[in-house]
Amino acid sequence: MNDREFCEHLDIEVKVLRIWIEQRWLMPREADSGWLFEDADLARARLIQDLTGPMGVNDDGVDVAMRLLDQIHGLRSRLAVLMNAIRSQEPEVQRLILSRVEDE
Amino acid sequence: MTSPYETLGVSREATQKDIQSAYRKLAKKLHPDLNPGDKGAEDRFKAVSAAYALLSDEEKRGKYDRGEIDETGAETAPRHYYRDYASSGDTAGRYESAHGFSDFADADDIFSSFFSRRSGGQQQRQRGRDQHFSMEIGFLDAANGTKTEISLPGGGPALDLTIPPGTRDGQTLRLRGKGEPGFNGAPAGDALIDIRVRPHPLFATDGDDVRYEVPISLSEAVLGGKIRVPTIDGAVNVTIPPHSNTGKTLRLKGKGLHKSGGGHGDAYVSLKIVLPQTPDPALSAFVESWADGKTEDPRKGMGGQA
Repeated sequence: MNDREFCEHLDIEVKVLRIWIEQRWLMPREADSGWLFEDADLARARLIQDLTGPMGVNDDGVDVAMRLLDQIHGLRSRLAVLMNAIRSQEPEVQRLILSRVEDE
Repeated sequence: MTSPYETLGVSREATQKDIQSAYRKLAKKLHPDLNPGDKGAEDRFKAVSAAYALLSDEEKRGKYDRGEIDETGAETAPRHYYRDYASSGDTAGRYESAHGFSDFADADDIFSSFFSRRSGGQQQRQRGRDQHFSMEIGFLDAANGTKTEISLPGGGPALDLTIPPGTRDGQTLRLRGKGEPGFNGAPAGDALIDIRVRPHPLFATDGDDVRYEVPISLSEAVLGGKIRVPTIDGAVNVTIPPHSNTGKTLRLKGKGLHKSGGGHGDAYVSLKIVLPQTPDPALSAFVESWADGKTEDPRKGMGGQA
C-alpha cells in the first residue's frame, strides 16, 4: 500500500508517518512511485501506536524500545538458525552440545 | 469468566486514573511484541486490553456495572502483531539489527560472519541516516533568497545551497542525498539544515509582514510629497500626504515577505518627523511668531497639566 492508504489504516497524519520514518522506526521499501508499505510495516506501526498511546511511552522511550526489539529479533533469528544447525547434527553431537551448555 | 476489574487488578471503585495506570503497568509487561517468544502473553494481553477497553469507557463501564453487558466486547478481527512478521525472513531483514551481538564471536572466530551478518542471510539495502546541521544567514538573504556554497562539518566537497526567498527563522532546508551514505547500494540520507536568520537593524518581521520606521523632514511632514523609502528588495517612491504626523503608518502592499503558498506580505512603514540637524534661525523665528503653536497642548489628557 502507499503512504496515504497506510495512514488511513492507522488513522494518522502523513506528518506523523514522516517522523516515524525519519526516526527509522519504520523503513518502508522505496519504489519510484514513493514508499511501499507491507503488512509487517502496518503491524510495526500498530506497535508504535500502542507504545506511544495507551502505554504512555515517550518518543525517546519508543526509540530505545524499537532498537532493542530489533536487536532481539536479530538475535532470535540467529539463534533459530543455530538451533536448526544443531538439530541437524547426529544425536550424539546434539547430546554433547546440550551437556556442554548445561554446564555453563 | 473473570471480571474486567479482576483482570486489571483494580477495585470496582477504581478511578479512571487507577484503571489507566493499572493497564499501563500490565500492558508494558504483557504486550506480545515485548514478549516475542511467549505465546501466553498474547492471550493475557488481549484479556487486559479488552478489560481496559471496557472500563476506560465510562458508558460501557456503567452498562457492565448494571449487568447490561458481559465482560466480552464485540469480537474484533484478530490482530497480527509485529512479532508475527519479525521472524519471517523477508521483512525481518529490514528491521532486524545485528548490532550489539557481534561480540559473540571475535573477528578471527569461525562463527564471526554468522553473528555479524545482517538478517536471514541476504544483505539488506538500507537508506543512509539524515544528518542535521544549522547555519545562520542574514535577514535580506533569507527574505530575498540567495545561493550559497556550504561545506558540511566532517569534510566532503562544498555544496550549493539555495535559500528560497521568504526563508524564515527556524526553517529547515533539505539537501537530498547529502546525509550519510546508504548501505548496500541504497540511497543516501538527507542533510537537514536548520536555518537561523540574523535580525535586521531596520526591518522587523511580523508574520508575513515587515514593519519599520522611516524618518521624514519637517517640511515633508507638513507639506507632503514623494519620498524614497527602503524596502527589503530595494527602495521605492512613496507619496506621503500633507500633514503626516510621527506614527502615521503607510502600507506598502506586497513589499513584505514571500508567503509559503505564493504571494507576499505587506510592509508597514511608520513615519517619524526629524528636525533639521542644526537649528535654523528662520524656522525658530517662524515658530516664535506662530501663535497657535504656543497654545496647543499635545499632552492634553495625560494628567500633566499645571
